[in-house]
Amino acid sequence: MLKTSLSAAISLILFMVAPALCCAESTDLKSLLNELKIASAQTRTLSSRFVQEKNLAIFSEKLLSQGRFVFQSPDSLRWELLTPVASGFVLRGSRGERWNSLNRELERFSVKDNPIMGIVAQQLLAWARVDLDWLEKRYHMELITLNPARLRLMPLDPGEAGFIDYLQILFADNRRHVDEVLLMEKGGDSTLLRFTDVQLNIELPENIFSPPEF
Amino acid sequence: MKLFAACYTGLQKRRRWLVLLLLLLAVGSVWNLSRLKIEESIVAMLPDGKSRAAKDFELLTKAPFARKLIIHLRAAPGAGVEGLLAATDRLRASLPGELFSNPVSGPKDMGTSALMSELGDYMPLLLDRKELQQIADQLNPESVDASLAADVTQLLQPQGIALKNKIRRDPLDLQRFALQKLRFLNPFPGIRVDKGHFLSRDGRSSLILADTPVLMTDAAGGRKLLDAFHRAQGQLPAGISAELLSGHPYTVANAETIQGDLRVVLLASAVGILVVFVVFLRSLRALPVFLLPLFSMAAALVMVSLWFDKLSGITIGFGAVLLGITIDFGLHVYFALQLGDNSRPQLLQAVSRPVLFGGLTTLAAFSVLLRSELPGQRQLAVFAIAGITAALLLALLVLPHFIGKREENTGLGRANNPASLYTRRPGLRWFVLLSWVGIAGFCAFAAQGLRINGELRQLGYMPQELQKAEKRLAEVWGGGRNRALVFASAADLDMALQRNEQVWQSLVEHKVQDESVSLAPLLASRQTKRQRVDDWQVFWRERRETTEDLIRAGGQKYGFSSDAFSPFFSGLDNPPKDLDIETLQRWGLGRLLDNLLLKDNNSYQLVSLVPDRPELISRLESELATLPGVTLVSQTRFGKELSREIGIDFSRFIIFAGLGVVLLLLVLFRRLPEVFLALLPVVTGLVVMFGAMTWMGLELNLFNGVASILIIGLGVDYGIFMVCHDRHKEYLASSRAIIVSGLTTLVGFGALVLARHPALHSIGLTVLLGISASVPTAVLVIPAFQKKAG
Repeated sequence: MLKTSLSAAISLILFMVAPALCCAESTDLKSLLNELKIASAQTRTLSSRFVQEKNLAIFSEKLLSQGRFVFQSPDSLRWELLTPVASGFVLRGSRGERWNSLNRELERFSVKDNPIMGIVAQQLLAWARVDLDWLEKRYHMELITLNPARLRLMPLDPGEAGFIDYLQILFADNRRHVDEVLLMEKGGDSTLLRFTDVQLNIELPENIFSPPEF
Repeated sequence: MKLFAACYTGLQKRRRWLVLLLLLLAVGSVWNLSRLKIEESIVAMLPDGKSRAAKDFELLTKAPFARKLIIHLRAAPGAGVEGLLAATDRLRASLPGELFSNPVSGPKDMGTSALMSELGDYMPLLLDRKELQQIADQLNPESVDASLAADVTQLLQPQGIALKNKIRRDPLDLQRFALQKLRFLNPFPGIRVDKGHFLSRDGRSSLILADTPVLMTDAAGGRKLLDAFHRAQGQLPAGISAELLSGHPYTVANAETIQGDLRVVLLASAVGILVVFVVFLRSLRALPVFLLPLFSMAAALVMVSLWFDKLSGITIGFGAVLLGITIDFGLHVYFALQLGDNSRPQLLQAVSRPVLFGGLTTLAAFSVLLRSELPGQRQLAVFAIAGITAALLLALLVLPHFIGKREENTGLGRANNPASLYTRRPGLRWFVLLSWVGIAGFCAFAAQGLRINGELRQLGYMPQELQKAEKRLAEVWGGGRNRALVFASAADLDMALQRNEQVWQSLVEHKVQDESVSLAPLLASRQTKRQRVDDWQVFWRERRETTEDLIRAGGQKYGFSSDAFSPFFSGLDNPPKDLDIETLQRWGLGRLLDNLLLKDNNSYQLVSLVPDRPELISRLESELATLPGVTLVSQTRFGKELSREIGIDFSRFIIFAGLGVVLLLLVLFRRLPEVFLALLPVVTGLVVMFGAMTWMGLELNLFNGVASILIIGLGVDYGIFMVCHDRHKEYLASSRAIIVSGLTTLVGFGALVLARHPALHSIGLTVLLGISASVPTAVLVIPAFQKKAG
């Protein structure tokens, strides 16, 4: 009897409190997203270094790599790994080049013809621009912590949800850029990206969105 | 011909019976017309039977996309891809299902379809010995190291997440050999798939393909189809346009152009005939002459409907125009009876001979068409023979009773005859003869360059807008619709697949596989699949251990775990799955299969598309001819084949019609000089017609070829009348009759030159040229020779 009363009381409390918690979280998320949107609107260029840690079952050890990421509004990108293998791609609108120092080959691509590069480019641009409208359409968002701002995103697209469990994004204190991205895959593999030396709205070298010469 | 004079006298008191007979004919014709089945298809004007062109045409109608409706959507600068794809979906949804069945705007998203993830599992069935050898060449430390390094690089990049499982299953990227097979399935080289839509390379165009129950030759149905399309098209947002490409817009454009042309031509003809009537006849007594062609046509319709189950619309339309020439018989009878000095029976007796022989030579000319390879021409021959026979009988037996009493001579008289003119002015005769020799000589020289064109499309009206739309489609999507076809046929599917493989082998040997479309690389016969599986198993039995060592060593170097590529090696142990039609359908390739694999009650046909280049076609043709069940059909060759058959038909016609006409002239005149004189108008008419056509850059086609029969029929008639005129003591007013009949032909047929439709225009121009030469030759040149001879 006591057990029953207790569980009923707990249920009642949860019933009354849960919506309030939910609403509080929803309100916080909305205001955070608004903050992020306003802050990102001021970003014209972004240049940063990054460290990538990949924990993949097919490798016996953690894969560490370093690189740099450059963005210029609205749709120019440079994603480049500097170690252990120099490789990467640049994108200008819908066209770009990718390279790989191993085979010293430069390959032109169009995001229209290459669906995988299309998805990658779309994702990176969305994060660089903090394009929340696009992200909200593709992910269910959960606020983990408000300070620091940390979001968890679960893919809505069944194809993407087939291999990505969730993404966890940590924003900088000033909310103007992403500090860390953790990508958890369904099978337990993960990729962690930490962005450092982030510089906003600086003048970029002219050839920054051109591929290196081999 | 005393018979006709006697008939005239005998029927003089029984005119009511003649009226009753004409009424019966009219009623019978109307009744027949109401139950007549009329075909509106160009097929009637294509060779039938066992001719090569007939078989080719039947196969060409089976070409992939030949029966499809293609809707080409284009985005204006500034309109984005998303907008274009949304508009494509909206248009597809708004097309009425009863007219546009199975509309498709693209396959499922290929990136996520089973095809891309499963194709690699079917490698044992897809890879041939040559490709296995390429794999063998790759199984060395350097190449394996390079493959694994590339795998690591890919895994480090953002796209690595999507590629991880694929790399585990296929670290050496062997699937690329299987993927290559897919490129031979694409009929539109400029196509790509975006979000499940067909999209052009530049992202500015999309496609919707659909079927329709509306026959390609159904003008009324085609109009409904176009109206429905325009209504749906009206809902497109600004910046997006759409064009419908199929045979229907051409059918509708042709039908509407012909209707418009007929209004113009009939008006011009009516005005012209009125002018001829006012200038040369000026009497209501001549009206029955103008009714003669109508009754001749009624008789022809009755006869032809008894002979054939179905009538070609072309036969009726063209035949009705052809029978306009029967007015000539009436004109000769009319002028002889109206202007001659003797009694009516005497004049009728005198004029009946040239009229009858004129009619017989025209009949001889048309009867040659009975042996034509074209069913429409054979129908036309029956129609013309029935109509001309009826016209002869009506002109000689019925018309004299309705012409009325003789009037005083008006207009041209004996004094204005060319013969009289030459007597008064001898220099004129030389001028006429020299001019004739000059013009005929020049045209005979030019005529040697006359070309025959069997290209069917040029006979139809091709609106510029439709031509531009076709061009845009070809520019954006490649020339998928204009390739030659190779059919590999057999009673069972496996045999058809074997033959298709032989065709493919031949295309590979000619190094045109990259420009071809075929199922052979993807869908193999049982025998080939068995062979490939055996080869695959032997290959890996011999190389598996070495490959495992190479991958293990390379993998260690890059830090791969020991079981990183276990899915690859276990895959080699898996028994191969069968790659059949159901698999291809499951992969979303069903539509493509429907176009490249045809099935009827008795056989399977696999279609390959190859470049339609004359030199390639001639090489392939001789090679493929040795393969049983394999047929090559090319639009270019079909045109040539048709041209050749038209050419043979035309030469045969000229020879036989010429022989028939000469024979009849010999029977009529029994003297060679007169036979030659009677032939002058027809020879001159043809020579000038062919010469002027060459000079003007025109070609002989299906329609103006038949129109030249008219020149022969009429030209010989003119010759007979002029020669007979000189032999008879009765005045038959032949020159006047010839001028008037020539003018009626010119305004009747020549008015067709005003038509926009190329077939009608070419008939008009041909007749205009031929008759313009025949009439002056008959009226001016024959008397000049006669005078000279006399």
